Amino acid sequence: MSIFNARSESQSWVWPVSLMSLILGFMCALAWVTQENRKSRRPFANQQQTTRINEGQVDIDAFDQLQARVQELLKKNDALEKSLSGSSSQAKTLNESLQEVKSFSGLTELEGPGIVIFLKDSGRTAGSGFGNAETGDIIHDTDVLRVVNELQASGAEAIAVNEHRITGRASFRCVGPTILVNDIKISSPIEIRAIGDPKTLLGAMNLPGGILADIRQTDPSMVEINEVKKMTLKPYTGSTSARFGKVPVVKK
Amino acid sequence: MIFLPVIALIIGAAIAIAIRLEPVGGAGGQYLAVACLAGIDSVCGGFRAGLEGKFRNDVFITGFVSNILIAFFLAWLGDRIYIDLFLAVAIVFGTRTFQNLALIRRQALTMFNDYQTRKQRNNPAAPAAPSDGNS
Repeated sequence: MSIFNARSESQSWVWPVSLMSLILGFMCALAWVTQENRKSRRPFANQQQTTRINEGQVDIDAFDQLQARVQELLKKNDALEKSLSGSSSQAKTLNESLQEVKSFSGLTELEGPGIVIFLKDSGRTAGSGFGNAETGDIIHDTDVLRVVNELQASGAEAIAVNEHRITGRASFRCVGPTILVNDIKISSPIEIRAIGDPKTLLGAMNLPGGILADIRQTDPSMVEINEVKKMTLKPYTGSTSARFGKVPVVKK
Repeated sequence: MIFLPVIALIIGAAIAIAIRLEPVGGAGGQYLAVACLAGIDSVCGGFRAGLEGKFRNDVFITGFVSNILIAFFLAWLGDRIYIDLFLAVAIVFGTRTFQNLALIRRQALTMFNDYQTRKQRNNPAAPAAPSDGNS
């Protein structure tokens, strides 16, 4: 017998309250911070309004559509250049040098051997590291930047981070829970593909005291490196226009 | 009977987990969390009103729904117009929840004391209850 049953004459309130309680429980379960949404909720833990505002600004779907369109147009452009060059040997030479420049600057697909590096957040602090974004357990923009830099230094001919090709204009930044590569949002796990001599690249990556050694020290499962015999990197699909710089005209 | 709301709360959470709904991430999750806070306040308020015998069904249900919606949209609106209404909602509903819980505790204590005295009055021969005059 509950002590409250002494006043059981008017307990009609229990049912509505229970019903709303049910809904509340449902909502709480949805708002719960779990392994899956931990990363995206973490930056809001300090309740900074600016983080919440910036979060909603990027329309990823529209961006993906645009990027697919760019890729399509680039392919068409390639085909046109090739058909133009078919007519004369002069045009052919010209086109060859054009394609060379394009492949150098990351505007064409590139195929070849290389390595794939996976960087992912450590799963160790699941749930407990909430609100502490500065720990070494997550992959930061600087980690990606340093890996890419090391790959360039060890002779990688083309690099792509999560399918985004790294060009001379590439940038890496950190906004909230995500890393921006060329202003495109990516998040863990991060896949860095590099074309080059696999042995040299592997050696550079596994260098004792190197960048990856740093990350491995925190948690060895954060890094994974695979050698690949043949892979294709997609071309750079961002803007290539220049607004301020102009190529000087050579006067004869 | 009185613990039914608590059981319902657990069942509600269990349903959400059982049907494998994805927990909301990002800023949306944060707005939902603040709406949960409003919901907690409303349910505590309903519980209190029930114990005090002032419960009104229409007031409770409209209050619950509107508090949740207002908390959610106020937090959202605050972020659109760059005023941190999120904090305002969290503070207001947090304070109210504390007050409601304090009142529930007092009400429960009163009821418990009532119950004890009534028990004593009903069987004054009980050995556990020393009579007033003895001390």
